Amino acid sequence: MKQNFLLQLHPLTKFYFSLFILVAVLIVPGYIFSFAVFPILVLIAILAGVTKEFLSIVLKALLSVLVIVFIMQMFFYPGDEVLWKAGIFSITQEGLDYGLLLTSRILAIGAVFILFFRMTEVRDFVKSLEDKGLPPMGAYVVLSTLQIIPEMRRQANTIMEAQKTRGVETEGSLFVRAKAFIPTLTPLILSSIASTEERAITLESRAFSAPVKKTSLHQLTKNSADRILPIVYVVILVGLLVWRFFL
Amino acid sequence: MTIMIDLKNVSYRYPVSDDFVLKNISFSIEKGKFSAIVGNNGSGKTTLCNTIRGFVPHFYKGDLDGEVIIDQTKMADYQLGQLGEKVGYVFQNPFIQVSGVKDNVFEEVAYGLENLGVPVEEIKIRVEEVLKLVKIEHLRDKNPFELSGGQRQRVALASIIVMDPEILVIDEPTSQLDPIGTEQIFDIIRLMKERGKTIILVEHKMDLIAEYADDLLVMHEGELVMQGPVREVFADPEFEKYQIQYPHVTEIALQLQKLGTALSFIPIRDEELAKALNRTGVAIHD
Repeated sequence: MKQNFLLQLHPLTKFYFSLFILVAVLIVPGYIFSFAVFPILVLIAILAGVTKEFLSIVLKALLSVLVIVFIMQMFFYPGDEVLWKAGIFSITQEGLDYGLLLTSRILAIGAVFILFFRMTEVRDFVKSLEDKGLPPMGAYVVLSTLQIIPEMRRQANTIMEAQKTRGVETEGSLFVRAKAFIPTLTPLILSSIASTEERAITLESRAFSAPVKKTSLHQLTKNSADRILPIVYVVILVGLLVWRFFL
Repeated sequence: MTIMIDLKNVSYRYPVSDDFVLKNISFSIEKGKFSAIVGNNGSGKTTLCNTIRGFVPHFYKGDLDGEVIIDQTKMADYQLGQLGEKVGYVFQNPFIQVSGVKDNVFEEVAYGLENLGVPVEEIKIRVEEVLKLVKIEHLRDKNPFELSGGQRQRVALASIIVMDPEILVIDEPTSQLDPIGTEQIFDIIRLMKERGKTIILVEHKMDLIAEYADDLLVMHEGELVMQGPVREVFADPEFEKYQIQYPHVTEIALQLQKLGTALSFIPIRDEELAKALNRTGVAIHD
């Protein structure tokens, strides 16, 4: 299967795109531009073939935040032009504008980063940061966390089963399950702490701290788009700045 | 022969512990020798391995007396990072010996070489070779977290020998393996010996030790109570005192001797029994 062109871009190219959107949204005044960004992101998601996951995460993660922020701003932002009033609550024109501005920006910035992580494998992203000079220790922390979470879930299940065989009730009403939580959680946390020592020794036995420059089987390649796109971003941003402040 | 590992009056106590785990241990091991450490649980075998690997005192603090010299250099003068290439250490517990950052066995085995800065082309060749040697080629695309105990044990061994260290410290490498798997591991260890590696092995399977190892170190409650060529140690009546298992054939022979059968020597390998009983003409069935 031929890999998608957008997915094949260097992780940093995609990351710079997210930063580019972030800055552009903050430079351009008004909410129309920021809201216009979202359909563009959806289009990119469609082209990259990640539409479904992208939209579902945006809905789950952003929608409630947006609604709450919008309502809060609409009612409580100070302003004189009252549009609607009921008791102590009033909606002002300023509040409405500011609420839209804020939500449009949150939507654009939040969505672009969600899109970034949908389109980029974390290990690729970490590798690209490592190439840029992130110490291997930091890269290890990020990558191992990703692998260890499912491992800990497995361990939690094992502990749960073990407690069950010892007669701890783990099923039933909410209260019963909450009670079972403590005998499960304590061994899980303690064993995780204990295993960090073993992990450190494992890494050491693989020469993790060897005083040489590491090599890597995992290599990232840059194509011409990866060289051109960052320049395009910068040019557009400079253009936006000039337009905003000098014209 | 050059001395590869040399311990002089080594005693060690873990932090916040009152008792010494290692008590006044002295021995030296020549380059290219295969030595087995035996002893009952809690006798200090693993701590001794940690000392040879340099985790004591570089990782575990606590009180270390005496001198540990690896390849003519004092342990205190090494940095922990430098020892990775010199001493390979395969631990007892195969479930923790996973780097946790690699998605498949091939990359897992390659991890040590990446850390040593070996060029990518060479890494690929060396990993291929080791996967074949340890017979885990079929696992290459599996996630290391999803392997069985025995499979993990092989991956752990492969991950260390791929780094090609001069000294191999192997702590119970076959605890999770069936008899065939165990034989295969011992074959690999023998191959390492043929390549001139100095090998230290902790193991409870005496039959295999009798067959493969050169020297035997017997640990008892933190002390090194016996040492010498495998045959001499097993034949020494003192060995019985420490309640460590004999090779099966030796046990039988000693029983026979007690019952009055004359033996020309104490056999330690199965095929020697007939000869010890002076019946060389008798066919032996395995």
